[in-house]
Amino acid sequence: MAFKVMVDGRAHEVEIVRRRPHLVVRIDGREHEISLPGDIGDGRQTIEIAGLPMHFTRAQSGDRAFIRVAGRTFEAGIVDPRAEAEGSGGGHDHIKAPMPGAVVSVHKAVGDSVARGETIVTIESMKLQTALVAPRDGVIAELYCKEGESFEKDEMIARLQSTAEGVRDDA
Amino acid sequence: MMKHVAADETVPQDRAVPFRKILIANRGEIVCRIVRTLRELGIASVAIHHRVEDGAKHVRMADEAIEILGDTPVAAHLDGKQIIAAALSAGADAIHPGYGFLSENADFAQAVADAGLTFIGPDAQTIRLMGDKISARNFADAQGVPVAPSVMPTGDIDAFAAAASKIGFPLLIKAAAGGGGKGMSIVRSPSELSEAARIAASEARRYFGDGRVYAELYVERPRHIEVQVLGDGNGNAIHLFERECSVQRRFQKIVEEAPAANLPAALREQICSAAVQLAAAANYRNAGTVEFILGADGRFFFLEMNTRLQVEHPVTEMITDLDLVRTQIEIAAGHGLPLAQNEIAGHGHAIECRICAEDPERDFIPETGTIHYLGVPEAPFIRFENALDAGQKISADFDPMLAKLVVYGATRDEAIDRSIAALGELAVLGVRTNTDYLAKVLGHPAFRAGHLHTGFVNEHRTDLAAAEPDTATLDTVLIAAALGFREFRDLAFGVPEPHATIGHWRN
Repeated sequence: MAFKVMVDGRAHEVEIVRRRPHLVVRIDGREHEISLPGDIGDGRQTIEIAGLPMHFTRAQSGDRAFIRVAGRTFEAGIVDPRAEAEGSGGGHDHIKAPMPGAVVSVHKAVGDSVARGETIVTIESMKLQTALVAPRDGVIAELYCKEGESFEKDEMIARLQSTAEGVRDDA
Repeated sequence: MMKHVAADETVPQDRAVPFRKILIANRGEIVCRIVRTLRELGIASVAIHHRVEDGAKHVRMADEAIEILGDTPVAAHLDGKQIIAAALSAGADAIHPGYGFLSENADFAQAVADAGLTFIGPDAQTIRLMGDKISARNFADAQGVPVAPSVMPTGDIDAFAAAASKIGFPLLIKAAAGGGGKGMSIVRSPSELSEAARIAASEARRYFGDGRVYAELYVERPRHIEVQVLGDGNGNAIHLFERECSVQRRFQKIVEEAPAANLPAALREQICSAAVQLAAAANYRNAGTVEFILGADGRFFFLEMNTRLQVEHPVTEMITDLDLVRTQIEIAAGHGLPLAQNEIAGHGHAIECRICAEDPERDFIPETGTIHYLGVPEAPFIRFENALDAGQKISADFDPMLAKLVVYGATRDEAIDRSIAALGELAVLGVRTNTDYLAKVLGHPAFRAGHLHTGFVNEHRTDLAAAEPDTATLDTVLIAAALGFREFRDLAFGVPEPHATIGHWRN
């Protein structure tokens, strides 16, 4: 049985090879025997991997785990295969907020054509201003925000359509 | 590390301060830090908070707390009228502004005084003088404090550009009312000048409501050296040595230390004396910081004066054993300076790392989240200045600085080693922070060698980027992660054997 675990955006396979007498897992082809002291909760922990104590600090939040090992913090999540199957097409058409904040100014209107790299809106978050630019050439199909409005991380700010689509819409 | 020079059981009658209750017009770690000193002095504390800060640590730690209203939390903390009314209703004698927010707002300082309260800081006139970069610079120049060659603004951008280009390149364009790197840019050739001035002016207008910009000689590989001063308001001033704050990102400090690394004694004396000269000439009252840029050729220039407690003040406290908040309060009470210059001695080395909610791998973009676990290193030589709680949401409402890790060592090397160990032990889980990045900065050979300048982060960005974890680390992470997921645990431990082989995750 293999689980797909994402660490900092990269997927790895963690496979349960044996459960008794000790848990043995295979990670990207490497097999490890694991001894657990008890339940895995939040905080500082030690587990034995192949007989060697490994220290880490962890915190769980829903389907995400934050793990600090060897002076580094990693973010991990388990991949739901169904969600994975739905895929991630059309990413180039959506301009999403990279962080939570507020809109300082909107430079384009619906129907305007934009060139790749052109600023669509300027946002501000924690005193930093950032320009959100067009990821490709196109026409603004939709703008989801006005000046002064605030938004959360990953919220949709604008949608692009190709220049050809825009012409068709106008006709 | 917080020893006091006059830490007797009973405060001598002539040093007793007339304040019984002080309102702290701030939030977060600095409120907690100020409350500690107030408690030692037997003064009651009043915290203020916006609705979103209900139950926050600074609110719990103070003796009283008053809610302030505002469309946004920041707007509430900038509402001077409301804060003064809160101080009056609580029966406070004085207001300590902390840093940021209203701490350098001359009108607020005046309004506090007009309300019959003591503002723990300089008078409004001094704040105004130092708050405007141009008037501060002219004042410094008139006192014989070195200032960089510069051109003052005129209404005519083209005339300004023509005059600026006479200084030579590179040039730095700055907003007169600026701070925090806003409206600031480096211009390397005459052709870029007019456009850069126009952009800086428009940015300055947007941020500060004041479009005046000026240009000055840009010092390549500059070090940021600042001097902690204390003034009694009657023309007497002393310094508590310098701090180096050269490691910056987005024009904001992330690592500060005292003393500065490898600063020749004569040069150190010159810089500290210049700061004292400025503070004395201004009849400065309060703790303050005079900032300089120092070029590789040993020339140094006045940058600005901060008329308040500085974020990085703990490093100075560690090497001088003085409590700067206590000093501020005693000065505000009219007791003058705590010591004479020749009684001040520095020892050892202290480093402060600013722990920020941000992603160093993505140009230090601010991050949000919830702190799910907080693990703090503890040792007699560590101060972890914070107001964090497990479960606390980190929103975009305030500055991304979460906490300050301040570490003392007998030598700079010891302070570095101890800081790296403390950063390794610190666990702020649930929001991305710069903790690991800071450990890389301190461990970098150029940092250890003291080869610092304000472009350090950019110069060493390749070395400072996170490396791929080794397989032992990665596998530990994956196992630690998998064990936390119910689906994995059920299969590994809980489910009877036959079902385990089916597994609902299988496609």
